[in-house]
Amino acid sequence: MKNLTTFLINLLSAIIITLGVILYLSSHFIGLPMLIVGIGFIYLIQYKNNKKKAIQSLKSLGKALFIPFIGLVVSLIIVSIILISTGYNPLMTLKTLIYGGFIKSWHSTVLNATPLIFTGLAIGFAFNAGLFNIGAQGQYYVGTAVATAIGIYLPMPSIILIVIAYVVSMLLSASYNIIPAYLKIKTGAHEVITTMMFAQIASSLSGWWVNLMGGEDPVHKYKTDKISTDAWLMKLKDLVPLDHINYRLNVGILVAILTAFVCYFILYKTTLGFKIRAVGHNKDGAKAQGIKVNKIIFVTLLISGALAGMSGVTQVLGLEHRMTYDLSSSYGWDGISVALLASGNPIGIIFSAFLWGGIDSGGQYLERVTDIHKSIVEIMKGLILFFVVARYIYLYINTKFGITKKLFKNISHSHTP
Amino acid sequence: MNEILSLFDTQLFTTTIDFSTPIVLAAIGGVLCERGGIVNIGLEGFMNFSAFFAVVGTIATGNPWIGLVSGVIAGMIFSLIHGFATIHLHLDHVVSGAVINILSAGLTQYLLLIIYHTAGQTASVPLSLHDMKYAIPILSSIPYVGEIFFNQTPIVYIMMISVVIFTIFLNRTKLGLHLKVSGEHPMALETLGISVFKMRYLGVILSGLLCGLAGSYLSIETGSSYSENMTSGRGFIALAAVIAGRWSPIGALVASVVFGFINALQYKLQIIPALKFFPTEIFSALPYILSILAIAFAVKKSRPPKASGEDFIVERID
Repeated sequence: MKNLTTFLINLLSAIIITLGVILYLSSHFIGLPMLIVGIGFIYLIQYKNNKKKAIQSLKSLGKALFIPFIGLVVSLIIVSIILISTGYNPLMTLKTLIYGGFIKSWHSTVLNATPLIFTGLAIGFAFNAGLFNIGAQGQYYVGTAVATAIGIYLPMPSIILIVIAYVVSMLLSASYNIIPAYLKIKTGAHEVITTMMFAQIASSLSGWWVNLMGGEDPVHKYKTDKISTDAWLMKLKDLVPLDHINYRLNVGILVAILTAFVCYFILYKTTLGFKIRAVGHNKDGAKAQGIKVNKIIFVTLLISGALAGMSGVTQVLGLEHRMTYDLSSSYGWDGISVALLASGNPIGIIFSAFLWGGIDSGGQYLERVTDIHKSIVEIMKGLILFFVVARYIYLYINTKFGITKKLFKNISHSHTP
Repeated sequence: MNEILSLFDTQLFTTTIDFSTPIVLAAIGGVLCERGGIVNIGLEGFMNFSAFFAVVGTIATGNPWIGLVSGVIAGMIFSLIHGFATIHLHLDHVVSGAVINILSAGLTQYLLLIIYHTAGQTASVPLSLHDMKYAIPILSSIPYVGEIFFNQTPIVYIMMISVVIFTIFLNRTKLGLHLKVSGEHPMALETLGISVFKMRYLGVILSGLLCGLAGSYLSIETGSSYSENMTSGRGFIALAAVIAGRWSPIGALVASVVFGFINALQYKLQIIPALKFFPTEIFSALPYILSILAIAFAVKKSRPPKASGEDFIVERID
């Protein structure tokens, strides 16, 4: 009986959370309190009889968020100084930026965050094995190209088509990482350079791929033909019968969040994930425990490639419906920042992707309503990244000048990936 | 047959030098940095940053030499961030390099707007180093070779000299040997009473200097303005050249020139009618494919500096 009530409450809160997420992501801000209430319910059930544990888990959450928070504050201060010295009002600017990114243009934040979650996961997943898949951009291009080709040329009923597009693109973009992975385990060639070279190859070839799929059309030059509507992902507008939902929002973001949770599950709840983290933590130790290090490195790089490919597929099926010859698209590069900010934690990546997406769309809003160019957000992103990643800086300042004795005691020497 | 022979005219080799010069410079920077024990994937960012400041200096004063100096100084200052982050803040070297690249792109974009109120590209410089082309009196009159090597622009000469200087520096001077030890066995160096930190800073700053030259070459010698993303992956090709050249300046020179040659050749191949069947994009991917092949075959035999990429923490009692 007691189990049944717990189950029912859990089910109820799961429903509230799901509804909250969907509402929130489709620009109905009533979803946010729903989300918080749902999480609160689950939290209460989980730690009903154990107050100590509850406080402990809150503390560890606070500890994990402490450095990112400080980094954010420090970089905002520096950005304000830059703004003042170039003759702008920092408070007004930051207010506009935040209003634009997280309220006014929230839908474009969601759209920005979708591919970033995937590429962030691709890079972050590899971090856990101590690998740096810096060429996620290349696998992204492969994913986009394959999804577009399938969407244009394969006549199939809707659901099957979408599934095929996902599976085939993931397979091919994973296999785009085979050579770097092979070189890594056979010759020790650093994956940073090999995946980077593969990214450059893909970005050189992407123009050709666009041409192959109808880019010669003088009207839509640098763009392929549109994929068939059967391959389109469902729009949130059709999912939720409410007004004011932007027509471009699609279920891709839900897929992204779900994938993040799957990654979390793989990394922290399965043997494979344990082995991956063991390799990332200490290669020799892992080898001594009988883990086949090379095999794990190979598999991790392939999974990472598949995740980056998913980013491309979701972008094509969900938002753009075609491949564009666009060398400035930078989801692969921004994914590096997203993954670094979250130190490779899949759940953290969801939030850092939203932060990055929000800063981007806030920058665009800022440019529309004021005369400040959106490139200020590029500096802001760089600074946030630096002050979050270089966490040892606080310990350094502390030991050098002794400002705060207690505050920064818990920062360890350990590095991000 | 004639068609193939006609490919190999002097122009092919001058373009080869044109393409390889920045890569050689950046690669030597990478060699010095890694020999000192710091992995540097921020070469791209250093180049981008100094390319911008070379233009700023040139436009402000009208003198490309001052532009070159300001580009080099900017590169060195920017490299200090990488040095500080990896040496004093014990940040992972690859992570720091990635952050450097991102920071460099953002900073130049914003400064471009603040200083020139335009996005994307600066105005042309009034006078570029390309106008300072200097033919060495007797040598340049040697047929074929003279035109290619001895009728060049300043930074190309600097590149040739720096290969020699840094080879001697690494192998024949005390400081160079200390630098190498700090990348091979830092503890041994520290026991001798020589600061590993200082040596590593030296490596990083030298790489900033050389990338400064490389960036200035792009913006005020072959080009005449700065445009966003103008380094376009050259820093990463330089990294590949470091590995393929087995961490020595001469090796880096050879590897970079091969990449430069392939790049020059692919432009020529694109216009051959018999090869029209292939899309041009395949040719532009050639240098990257080549560098992967080079890495695949070179890496097995070459060994990186032992302590390269490793953090060095020493507990001092003072």
